[in-house]
Amino acid sequence: MTQELRTDSPVTWCPGCPNFIILESARKALLNLIKQGYKRENFAMTVGIGCHAKIFDYLDISGIYGLHGRTIPTAMGIKIGNPNLTVLAFAGDGDTYAEGIGHFVHAGRYNTDMTLMVHDNQTFSLTTGQGSPTSQENYKNKAEPLGKSTPPLNPIKLALSSEISFIARCNARDITHTQEVLEKAITHKGFSFIEIIQDCTSFNLDVNKRDKDMYQLNSPCKTKDQALKLADEFDYNIRKGKIPLGIFWQENKKTLTEEWPQLSNLKKKGIGWKDLKR
Amino acid sequence: MRLNIVIGGKAGQGINKVSEIVSQTLTNQGYFTFNYRDYPSIIRGGHNFNILSISDKKIESHESKLDGIVAMDDNTIKVHEKALKKDSFVIKPDNFLEFGRNLNVALAGALIKILGIDKKILIEEIKEQLNNPESLKAAEKGYESQTKKFDLKKLNNKITILSGSKAVTQGAINSGIDIYFAYPMTPATPVLHELASEQLKHNCLVFQNENEIAVANAALGASFSGAKVMVGTSGGGYDLMTEALSLQGMTEIPLVVYLASRAGPATGIPTYTMQNDLGIALYGGHGEFPRVVIAPGNPIEAIEITNHAFYLAEKFNTASIILSDKHLAESEFSSEEKPSKPLKIKIERPIPGEKKVVKASSYESDKYGYSTEDPFLAKKNADERIKRYEEIKKECKKFEMIKFHGKKDSKNLIIGWGSTSGAIKDAIQDLDAKFLQVLYLKPLSDEIKEQMQKAKKIILVEGNVTGQLGRLLREKTGISIKNRILKYDGRPFRSDELKEEIREVLE
Ligand SMILES: Cc1ncc(C[n+]2csc(CCOP(=O)(O)OP(=O)(O)O)c2C)c(N)n1
Repeated sequence: MTQELRTDSPVTWCPGCPNFIILESARKALLNLIKQGYKRENFAMTVGIGCHAKIFDYLDISGIYGLHGRTIPTAMGIKIGNPNLTVLAFAGDGDTYAEGIGHFVHAGRYNTDMTLMVHDNQTFSLTTGQGSPTSQENYKNKAEPLGKSTPPLNPIKLALSSEISFIARCNARDITHTQEVLEKAITHKGFSFIEIIQDCTSFNLDVNKRDKDMYQLNSPCKTKDQALKLADEFDYNIRKGKIPLGIFWQENKKTLTEEWPQLSNLKKKGIGWKDLKR
Repeated sequence: MRLNIVIGGKAGQGINKVSEIVSQTLTNQGYFTFNYRDYPSIIRGGHNFNILSISDKKIESHESKLDGIVAMDDNTIKVHEKALKKDSFVIKPDNFLEFGRNLNVALAGALIKILGIDKKILIEEIKEQLNNPESLKAAEKGYESQTKKFDLKKLNNKITILSGSKAVTQGAINSGIDIYFAYPMTPATPVLHELASEQLKHNCLVFQNENEIAVANAALGASFSGAKVMVGTSGGGYDLMTEALSLQGMTEIPLVVYLASRAGPATGIPTYTMQNDLGIALYGGHGEFPRVVIAPGNPIEAIEITNHAFYLAEKFNTASIILSDKHLAESEFSSEEKPSKPLKIKIERPIPGEKKVVKASSYESDKYGYSTEDPFLAKKNADERIKRYEEIKKECKKFEMIKFHGKKDSKNLIIGWGSTSGAIKDAIQDLDAKFLQVLYLKPLSDEIKEQMQKAKKIILVEGNVTGQLGRLLREKTGISIKNRILKYDGRPFRSDELKEEIREVLE
């Protein structure tokens, strides 16, 4: 285990890919939490399949490099297997909003104490740029030369209506803000979701470079109505309007661990199933 | 001595209670019973029936010819009277309608009298199971309404009743199961219900995920964290799990899968039985990786095999698939045998939360768990996966991978597996035949080939259309079995009919 949570694995992202910055934000957030007493060996991660997922090889913590779309259930399983672990799931927009959207909708209901980061570059990058559920309408790509025919899905609205207990949005390029939000997400008790707006340097270039339209919220919304309204400011489609960043919503709800006496017991004892004496 | 009695009625009328009262009473009297449950996918109405087979010797099947009908409605008589033997009885509901919800108890009482069992014993059993004045009255009235037809004197057998589902549950608990993940699907659901009701007592967790894909992936996550994990499903759910099964093959995270088959492709006939999923158990999931497939034939074997499955999964970081079906899962068997002492399952692999970083990857990976596309490592990893299978094979030789029943020196060899074994065992009682029961389907015992080579005549008996075990045996031994008795109407073999079919082939 290296001090800096880096690994020797050669990095294969495209030059200039914001995934490098997301990796740095994550690394810094984890190191800061470790300084504050989080146990480094208790961190565990899952990733989907896609460019984002390569972060698995570059972050020196335990975990499962899972299947496309299955980041969330795999992470949930890790948490159920040992509720003392701090579990992070890294996923793509294809992963989360296409292949595995069912798991995302249920995540709010289960409220597993874990953090999901979606690297949303509004395209399937690793498979060379097909349209994802968050790609803008009319996006021309190799699979849809006539242009994508459906409007994009708004992940923040979906998260709000799925009763996810911590909902935030970040700009991949802003290390300080992403690190700060990620730390808050990890310390939040319950399921935390961070939608990270990320440019792709190779595909769907039309949606890139929106930093100047972005602004940071001061605090989470007081009501769901406010949060939904804010979420509507950016519809992932037209290049106008503002893009709010920061924590949209945060509430205290019973977590999966708290729901189950068996898991609460493990948590209280500070052990996983392996060390449970029957 | 052998009796077959049908107990029938509409879904929701409580025919299972009749079977339960009568079987338990007979068990206490030292008689062996086998209770086949036949019910359509209907919650209320329709026609449900059980065939309760009774014997003074061990039985594991029911027969087609009936000694009696216990009818909760007129339809039951209409459906089954064709199957009645000459000197048989029918208990009609007409005289007991006044008992309302206790109609079934009254009928149980009536049947007990016909069987010639003492009233005191009936009353004790009703007190044990129901203990309310209405039920007691119904049982007594039922009893008194009949005249004794048989004389089932007390025998000295110590018998317990168990369904395949209860046995798998017991095997999992014996193995120290930590978590069972599942999504309801007949006929795997009874294990979900059983384990769920037992979870606090045994301090394990039963979790119903949003679908089978979540089930399988969460199970791998939890096993990765160091829990002993099992998932349960039927064919359709298993199909959804197969991508994760392949992930298991790559990550080598231990996993136990309980696969209980139903009849036919797609939704098929959901509450009926077939042995049509051997193929997916053996081959489901992309890529090439080791796994274990074991099929118990009765509950005692199911208890033991479930334990083997946990043991092998953990020892070899593999997937162990316990292959059952509706017939084994939901029939109630009786037995004098006790399962062997369960093996202890120890988790010795590295898990997260300990000092070392543990990485498990879906990609081909190097020894640290980092992705690689290196051709040398790709080949090395593939070779190691196959080598691991060889080690599994060696270990499995410690277990009874096959069993022999019937005339041990006969030149006529019957081959079968799983829930069909019961009917075969009963069918060959007085035939010149030896039955080779295959319990381990992967790995397969080398002894099977020797046995096949020695036999004069081989008959394959399976509950599917294409003879899936036959195909496997041909692949592994080069011997193709010409004589095949296959049943694929969703109903299990009945031993008297099977006996005639085998006899025809032998002659
Ligand atoms: C079941 C399955 N279907 C399809 C694929 C092929 N595939 C790999 S990555 C990917 C999409 C990646 O898009 P996204 O999740 O947005 O990640 P990105 O590459 O943009 O980071 C697809 C479709 C797969 N690996 N598994």
